[in-house]
Amino acid sequence: MKQSYKISTFMLLPLLITTVMYVCTSCKVDPIRDPNNPSPGSITQNATLGEIQNLVDGTESGMRDNMGFYFDDVGVIGREFYRYSTSDPRFTSDLLGKSTSVLDNNTFYITNPFGARYRAVKNTNILIPALQNTKASITEDQRKAGIAYAQTIKAYQLLLVFNLEYENGVRVDVADPDNLGPFLSKDESLNAIQGLLNTANADLKNNPANFPFNSSVFGNAASEFSKFNRALAARVAVYRKDWALANSALSESFFDLNGDLNTGAYHLFSTAGGDQLNPQYFPLNVSGEARVAQPGFIADAEAGDTRTGAKTSRRLDTAFQDGLKSAYDFYVYKTNVAPIPIIRNEELILLYAEVQAQLTNTANATAAINVIRSAASLGNYSGATDLGNLITEILKQRRYSLYGEGHRWIDMRRYNKLSELPIDRTGDDVWVQFPRPANE
Amino acid sequence: MQKTFRYFVLCLSSMMVPMALLAQFTVTGTVTGAGNNPLSGATIKVKNSNKGIVTSDQAGKFSLDVPGQKGVIDISFIGYKTQSVSVDVNSQSLALKLVEDISNLDEVVVTGLGTSVKRANLANAVASVSSKELVGTTTQSTVDGALYGKFTGANISANSGAPGGGISVKLRGVTSIAGNSQPLFIVDGVYYDNSSINAGLNAVSKAAGQGSTTFQDNPSNRIADLDAEDIDRVEILKGASAAAIYGSRAAGGVVIITTKKGRNGKPKIELSHSIGQQMQLRKLGGRSWDAAKVQAAYGSAGTSIYNAAGGKVYDYEKELYGQKGLMNNTRLSISGGNDKTTFYAGFTRKDDEAIVKNTGYTKTAFRINLDQKVFSFLDLSLNYNYVESKADRGYFNNDNTSTTLGVSFVSTPWWANLYPDANGNYPNNPLAPSNFLQTRDLITNREKVNRTLLGSTATFKILNTGKHDLKIIARGGIDNYTLNTIAIFPKELQFEKDGNGTNGLSAYGTTITRNSNISAIAVYNFSPNEKINFRTQAGLTAENIDQNNVLTTASQLIGTQTNVNQAGAVQAEQARTIQKDRGFFVQEEVNYNDIFIATAGLRGDRSSRNGDASKLYYFPKASLAVNVNRFSFWNWKQVSQLKLRVAYGESGNFAQFGAIYTPLVPAIFNGTTGSLIGINQGNDKLEPERQKELEFGIDFGILKNRITFEGTYYIKKADNLILLVQSPTSSGFSNAWKNVAAIRNKGIELGLNAMIVDSKNWKWNIQTRFWKNKAEVTRLDVPAFNTGAFGATLGTYRIQKGKSPTQVVGIAGANDPKDPESGLGIFGDAEPDFQLSFTNNVTWKNFELSVLSHWKKGGRNINLSTLLSDIFGTSPDFDKTNLDPSGQLSNGSFRLAALGTTAKPWVEDASYFRIREIGLSYKLPANLIKGISQIKVGFSGRNLFNHFTYSSYDPEVSNFGANAISSNVEVTPFPSSKSIHFNVSVSF
Repeated sequence: MKQSYKISTFMLLPLLITTVMYVCTSCKVDPIRDPNNPSPGSITQNATLGEIQNLVDGTESGMRDNMGFYFDDVGVIGREFYRYSTSDPRFTSDLLGKSTSVLDNNTFYITNPFGARYRAVKNTNILIPALQNTKASITEDQRKAGIAYAQTIKAYQLLLVFNLEYENGVRVDVADPDNLGPFLSKDESLNAIQGLLNTANADLKNNPANFPFNSSVFGNAASEFSKFNRALAARVAVYRKDWALANSALSESFFDLNGDLNTGAYHLFSTAGGDQLNPQYFPLNVSGEARVAQPGFIADAEAGDTRTGAKTSRRLDTAFQDGLKSAYDFYVYKTNVAPIPIIRNEELILLYAEVQAQLTNTANATAAINVIRSAASLGNYSGATDLGNLITEILKQRRYSLYGEGHRWIDMRRYNKLSELPIDRTGDDVWVQFPRPANE
Repeated sequence: MQKTFRYFVLCLSSMMVPMALLAQFTVTGTVTGAGNNPLSGATIKVKNSNKGIVTSDQAGKFSLDVPGQKGVIDISFIGYKTQSVSVDVNSQSLALKLVEDISNLDEVVVTGLGTSVKRANLANAVASVSSKELVGTTTQSTVDGALYGKFTGANISANSGAPGGGISVKLRGVTSIAGNSQPLFIVDGVYYDNSSINAGLNAVSKAAGQGSTTFQDNPSNRIADLDAEDIDRVEILKGASAAAIYGSRAAGGVVIITTKKGRNGKPKIELSHSIGQQMQLRKLGGRSWDAAKVQAAYGSAGTSIYNAAGGKVYDYEKELYGQKGLMNNTRLSISGGNDKTTFYAGFTRKDDEAIVKNTGYTKTAFRINLDQKVFSFLDLSLNYNYVESKADRGYFNNDNTSTTLGVSFVSTPWWANLYPDANGNYPNNPLAPSNFLQTRDLITNREKVNRTLLGSTATFKILNTGKHDLKIIARGGIDNYTLNTIAIFPKELQFEKDGNGTNGLSAYGTTITRNSNISAIAVYNFSPNEKINFRTQAGLTAENIDQNNVLTTASQLIGTQTNVNQAGAVQAEQARTIQKDRGFFVQEEVNYNDIFIATAGLRGDRSSRNGDASKLYYFPKASLAVNVNRFSFWNWKQVSQLKLRVAYGESGNFAQFGAIYTPLVPAIFNGTTGSLIGINQGNDKLEPERQKELEFGIDFGILKNRITFEGTYYIKKADNLILLVQSPTSSGFSNAWKNVAAIRNKGIELGLNAMIVDSKNWKWNIQTRFWKNKAEVTRLDVPAFNTGAFGATLGTYRIQKGKSPTQVVGIAGANDPKDPESGLGIFGDAEPDFQLSFTNNVTWKNFELSVLSHWKKGGRNINLSTLLSDIFGTSPDFDKTNLDPSGQLSNGSFRLAALGTTAKPWVEDASYFRIREIGLSYKLPANLIKGISQIKVGFSGRNLFNHFTYSSYDPEVSNFGANAISSNVEVTPFPSSKSIHFNVSVSF
C-alpha cells in the first residue's frame, strides 16, 4: 500500500511540473515596442513617407546641434574672435593655449561637437536603410536620390569632424554602433569623404527625380542638390590639393562668378518653441558671455574694406577678459534667427580663384579675386601674380569674406601658415588639431 | 498499482469525487484561551490532514469527524501555541485550554504564492510584523514608515517630513545602482504599485539640469495609499533566498501584506478615534545678528534694510514650521460571519494638518474582505479596497532658482520683513528671489489619488483523503489608480512676475495605472504516514503593468486662471510604461517529522522588459531547516528549541524602463518636428540584474521558549547590475545600457525575544533586534564614477570596485584621508555601522505600555542645507567657534573657507537614537456599559524623543527620494515632525 502511494507521488510530481512547463512555454510574451518613441528598428524595416520626412527633419535639426562650439573652436584657435565666458574659462585658456593650458580630450569643446556630428551621421545611417527598405510608393530614381542626399549630408558631417581632428583622422564606418570601424589617417579620411560625395553625386547628377521628402538644405530636386554636393566636393578636393577634381566639381556646382555671393546652403533657426536659435548670435555690448573680434581683424584690414564694418561692431566699452582685449563685437549675425552658411557662392568664387592660381591660370584667379574685392568696395588686386603671392591674397580675402564661418584656422593649417597667426598673450599656443575624444 | 493509476486518471481529469467514506467517529469539545475565555474561530483538524477542518463557535465549542478508530487532532489559534491531542471513539467534551505563544514559533508565515510555513519550520529569517506591532502602539501615517525598527535587516528612511509619505526601503543593503532597489509589495496576492511620480515642479525649481540630472520633486510613493489599520500581518522576505519564488521582480525583497478577515461569530464592531497634534521634530533657531554681521553677509544693501527694521526680528522658523498640525483619524470596522461566510469591512478617515501652513494629508479608505465556502470543494475569497487621498506637500528640496520654501528660508535673514500688508500684498523679498511666506500661501502642490484594488482567490479542493490533498488555487488581482498632480504657481509670486519667471505656471499631471496579475497554483500534499510529508506545488503567473503619465505644463497664465488652456504657452509630455510578465514555478517541500524540512524550487520568468522577451530566465532556490531539539536523542530540556537552517535563492531585477529601446526623439526644426536618434543606445541584449543569496541561521529557545533567539548571516550578491555607460560618441550615441557591475552585501541579523515577567497581573516582554550590513562593489567593468549628489566639491557617492557603493567622497584638503587612485577624500559611508532596536511591552492588569526605541549608529549624510545657510549667512551656529581647530574662525566662516578645498564640512554623521513609538493604553473593565464589550483609551506618540548630533532637522532625509544610491543627501527638506495622539476605541 505504502509503496504504491509513493509511486503515485513520484508520478504526480513530474506530471504536475511538465504540465506547468508545457503550459508556460505556450504562454508567450511578445516583445512590446517602445510605447514612448519611434524606434530605428521598425523605421529601417518599413518606413512610411511621413517617417522618412521625420528622419530628414531630424537630421537637418541635428546638423545644427553644438555647431556653436564648432564655430567657437575654429574661430578662436584661428584667432578670428575671442569667446568670453564667465561660466567657463576654458574658451580663453585651453583653446588659446594660455601658459600651460592644453586641449583636453574630455572637455565639451571637442566632445560636444564631435558627438553631435556623429549623431547626425547616425541619423543618416538610419535614413539610408529606411529608404532602401521602404515599401512606400516611390520611384527608383527617388530612392537613389534620397540615399544620395543622406550620403552627402553624412560626408559633410564627417568633414566637420575631420576639420577638428585633422591628423587624428575620423571614423567613417560607424553604421554598427557595437562594431565601429577604424580611425582613418588624415589623407584616408579626406579621400573617404571625397569618395562618399562622388558616389552620392553619381545618383544625383542627371537624376530627374525629386527627393521623396522635403529638404531645407538645397531644394528637393536631385539635379539641384547635385550642385550643393559638387560645391562640398570642390572644398574637399581643394583640401586634398586635387585641383583638377576641384575645377570640375566647381563647374558642376552652383558656383557663379557673377552671382549673389550669399547663394548657398544654410542652417536655419527660429524662435518657435523647442527650435534652436543661432548659437553665434549675442546682442551687442554684452559682457560676461560674449564674442569679440580679435583686434587684428580690424587692424589688418585694407583701408575701405566694408567687410570689417559689416561683420563687427564697435563696442561702447572695450571688452576685457582673461588678458584679452577688444573694442569690437563679433557681429556676423544680426539676429538670433539669422541662418548660418554651410557653403555659399562667395567661398566657391574664392575656391575657384585658388584652383585657378594653382593651375597657373593667373588671369582667371585674379579675376575671381577682383570679384570679391569689388564686393568689399576694394580696388582690383595689384599685387604680384606668382603662386605664393596669389595664395597670400586669396587667404586674406578668405579671412575677410568668410569671417567667423569656420575657415581661417583650416586655411592657415593647409598652407602650413599656423605660425603666422597672432599670439595675443605670452605663452599662448596655436593648436594644429584637437585630441581624439577620450571615450573613443 | 491500480490505485495509483486511478489517482493518475483522476488528477489528469481534475474531476475529483470524495473517496468512499471509511469508518469515523465524532469528537466534541470546547476551546479556551487566556483567562479561560472561550476562543471563537480556533481551527481544529486531524493532524497531517486538511480534510474536514472545523472552527470553534462563539462559545468555543466544536465538533469534528475523525476517520478510523483513533487519531491525533491539532487545535490552533493565532497568538496561541498549537496543541495536539490524541483522541479515540470515547473522546467527548474535551476541555482544551490553549497557551499563549510568546515565541511565535507556531505562527504561520506566508512565504510563497500558494502556501505558508509554520515559523518553527522556516529555513529563512522571514520577518513578520503583526497588526498589533504595526499599529498597536500609535497612529501611523504610512505602512512602510510603520515598519521601521520592527524587524531586522532593513534600512528605511523617510525622504522628508512632507505629509503623505515618501519613504525609501532597502532590505539587506543596496541591490541595484541605476535600477529599482525598493521591495515588491503584494497585498492579498495583488501586486501593489509603489511608484513615485513627479508633479512637474522641476519646471519652476530647475533642480534637475545643473549639477544633477535627477528630479528632486519629492513625490510620495504609492504604498502610502494602503491603510495600515486594515493590515492583519506583514511578512518581509528580505532577500533572494526567501523571495526566489517571486522571480524577476524580487531582488529588492518582497513585502507580503495580508489584510484582516472576519471570523465565525457574531458581528464585532470596532469604532475608534485618534486625535493628535504634530510639531516640528527639531527646531534649529536662527542666527543672532548685529550691524557688523549684516554688513559682512549682505553688504550695504543689507545694512540699510537692517537699520530700517530698527532691530525688529521675526521668528521665521516658528512662522514657517511652527504650525501645530491637528491630526484626526477615525476608524470603523465590522467583522463577523458564520461557518460558511466571513466578512470584514474597514473604513478609515484620516485628516492630518502638517507643520507648514497649507500642507496636509487626508485619506478616506474603505475595504471589504469576504470569504465564502461556496461548495465543500470550493472556497472563494474577495478583497475590495477603495482609497481616495489628497496630499498638499508644499514646495521644498533643492532648486536652481532659489524659489523653494526651503531654499528661500535659509537665504533670508530674520530681520527682512516678508509679511503682507493690510491689503494682503506681499513685499518682494529684498535679499532673495522669493518670499517664502507668499510662496507658502499662494502655491499648490497637490497629489490626489483614487485607487481601487480588487483581489480574488478561489481554492478548489480537488482531492482530500487523509494522505492525499490536492488543491488548485486561482488568484487574480487588479490594482487601478488615477493620480492627479496639481502644481500651481500664480503669476503674482515674486519669482513668477516682472520677468523673473514665466508669469505663472500650472502643471497638471495625470497618471493612470492599471496593473493586473493572475496566477494558478496546484498544491499537492502527500503524507504517507504521520512522520513524513511531501508538498509539491506548481503554478503559472502573469503580471501586466500599464502606466500612462501625461504632464501638461502651462505658463504665461491668464489672470488668476489655472486651467492649462488659460495660458500663453503649453507644453505636454507623456510617458508610458507597459510590461508583460509570464512565469511558472515549481516547488517541492519535504518535512520529516518536523525535524528535517527541505525545500527546492524553481521559478522561470519571461518579460517584455528583458531584451529578449521570449527568453525564460530561471531563478532556483533550495533550503534546509533542522530542528535539532526534535531528535530523539535530545534530552537537554532547558533548550526547548534549536534549529539550524540554510537557504539559497536567486531573484531578478529589471533595468529602468526603456533601457532596451533605442529611441528616436523629437527634434523641432523649421516649423516641423523631426526624429533624431536619442543619445542613449538601448540594449536589446540586456540581461536582468540577478541576485544570489545564501543565508545561514540558528534559532533557539530556552525555558519553554520564554527566551528565544534568532541569528542569521547572509551573503547576497547582486550581479549583472545595469548602468548607463559612456559610449564612443562616433557610434552616434553618448551612452549605452550595459550589464557591468556587481555588489556584494554581507550582513548579520540577531533577534532576542524575552518574556521577562509573566505573572497574573504583570507581563513584561522585550524584543531586541540588531542588524548590520556591509556592501562592496565587486565588479565594475567601467571606470569608477561619481554619482548621486552634486559633484566632488560638495561630497558625492562614488561607485568604485572594492569599495562600498554608498561611500561618500569629495575633494580633499591636506589632512583628509584620500583614495590613492582618484585622489578624492574619503568621508565615510551612507550605510550605518549597525542598527539596534528594542520593543518593550509591559502590561499590568488593564494597562499596557509599549515603547519602540531605535538606534542607528553611523552612516553619513551629505548635508547641503548647511552649505546654503552658510552662504547666505543664516546658519544658526554661524557665529559659534567649535569647528575651527585653531579657534579663529566662526563655524560659518570655517565651513565656507573649506568650500572648494574639501567637502568634509558637509558630510555629517547621521547616527540617531529615537523613541519611535510610545503608547500607554487602558482597557476599561469589560461590560462596564451594556452592549459594549470593550473600551480602550490611550495616549501615544511618534518620535517624541530624539538624540542626534546631525546639525539639521533630522538625519532621516533624502533629497533624491528613493534612489538606490543617493538617498542620504539633504537640501532644505520639509522638516520632520513628531506627534502625540489620544486614542479611544470602542468594541461592540
